[in-house]
Amino acid sequence: MAVINKEKCTGCKICQTYCTVDAIIYDGDNHKCYIDQNRCTECYVCLRQKVCPREAIESIELDNFYKQFQHVISDPVENHGVTGVTGRGTEEVKTNDVSGRVKKGEVGVCIDMGRPGMGVFLRDASKVAMALADVGVELLPAEHTPLGALMKDLKTGELVEECLDYHLLSVIVEGKCQESQLKDVLVTLQKVEKEIDTVFSLGLILRVDENGQTEAMSCLDELGIPQPYRGKVNVGLGRPLCLD
Amino acid sequence: MTHSLHRSGDIESQKRDFCWFMYQTKGINDKDIKPKALEFIAAAEVCGSENWGDVKTGPITRFSVKEIKDNITDKSRLRGVFTSREQIVDFLRIMKEKDTGMSVVATGVLSEVIPACKEAGVTPHSINYSLGVWGKKDNLPDEITLSITTMCGHHMIPPKFVKHVMEQVGKGRMTPEVGALKLANFCYCGIFNHIRCADIIAENIDK
Repeated sequence: MAVINKEKCTGCKICQTYCTVDAIIYDGDNHKCYIDQNRCTECYVCLRQKVCPREAIESIELDNFYKQFQHVISDPVENHGVTGVTGRGTEEVKTNDVSGRVKKGEVGVCIDMGRPGMGVFLRDASKVAMALADVGVELLPAEHTPLGALMKDLKTGELVEECLDYHLLSVIVEGKCQESQLKDVLVTLQKVEKEIDTVFSLGLILRVDENGQTEAMSCLDELGIPQPYRGKVNVGLGRPLCLD
Repeated sequence: MTHSLHRSGDIESQKRDFCWFMYQTKGINDKDIKPKALEFIAAAEVCGSENWGDVKTGPITRFSVKEIKDNITDKSRLRGVFTSREQIVDFLRIMKEKDTGMSVVATGVLSEVIPACKEAGVTPHSINYSLGVWGKKDNLPDEITLSITTMCGHHMIPPKFVKHVMEQVGKGRMTPEVGALKLANFCYCGIFNHIRCADIIAENIDK
């Protein structure tokens, strides 16, 4: 856990420039900086960049499971013990040519919560996961996505209460549904986006034809959602190749 | 991790921004990957990948190629960035020939990436499409800052540091290129496009 040693801090405020979520606060009464532990995501950028000329930023032991989870997800240098993927990461489309996780007729739903400069409290991740589960999205278990480890039940998507007030740099809510369910899933997301105190970027994973096309996106126009212009393309060189 | 997918900024600028990835699949082809990883590095170097790295060590903007190669393990994840369609075409063509069996991913503007696949003779298997940003967008940093910070999809670049660099460049204390490299050093993956970043800084220092 990152903390500022008050004995060493001179209140120069240099460190504030290096905080990813504005969690370093200047206390004008004492002329010292401190880290707002409710807002800090334990990303360790301030520690790794060695930003303090007095070495006043120190790390102390992450004293519970949720603090450790917060750090592992927020810091990509760390490897998640279960998924084997660094940081918050999941394998999503990246290995789909081999894993076959999203098959023809299915849609992978990949909700990347938070955005640079704006983290995510897990209570908002819980709202999104619950909304997805409610509309029939099959949420991925802990073997595939870190957030699964915090869910009381994959069928409901609800996260355990102890974690809800932890702030992360970002986290991914991931699941899949049938193409026929996609419109309902998007309508649900249009509702839940108004109920959260952060943002998310939505990714939809689909099998495509040899020209990189899919018919599944036609429902976007009906819902007033712009057609995507960016994509992460798995070019099918992994072996053994899954053709499902 | 969808960290190369949701970049923002001017679309013409994004068309000069292609990310590449090498991935092993847990439990299937994730053992003894180093020789295959070295093939990816060789191709990246031949094609002139402007930045690349392994999240377990860091990017070439900060670490030597030797350090990155020496530190490759079965947990390594190699990623990098190109600034032209010709480069990603050549890279995909080489990786098809090498037939390492590792998954290969290319991210960018689809009107560029899909034709690039065709030119290289590879067939898209699946795509993760970006449907943009949803939710409480009013509290986000400004779009110029986001066009830089979203090039590190792990969100490691502090928005205030972008402002600091822009100010320093504006005062003539550093060039856009030096500022872009300082920003690149926050991103451990090697997918931060410091060439594009320098362009964005140069175009916006007075705004």
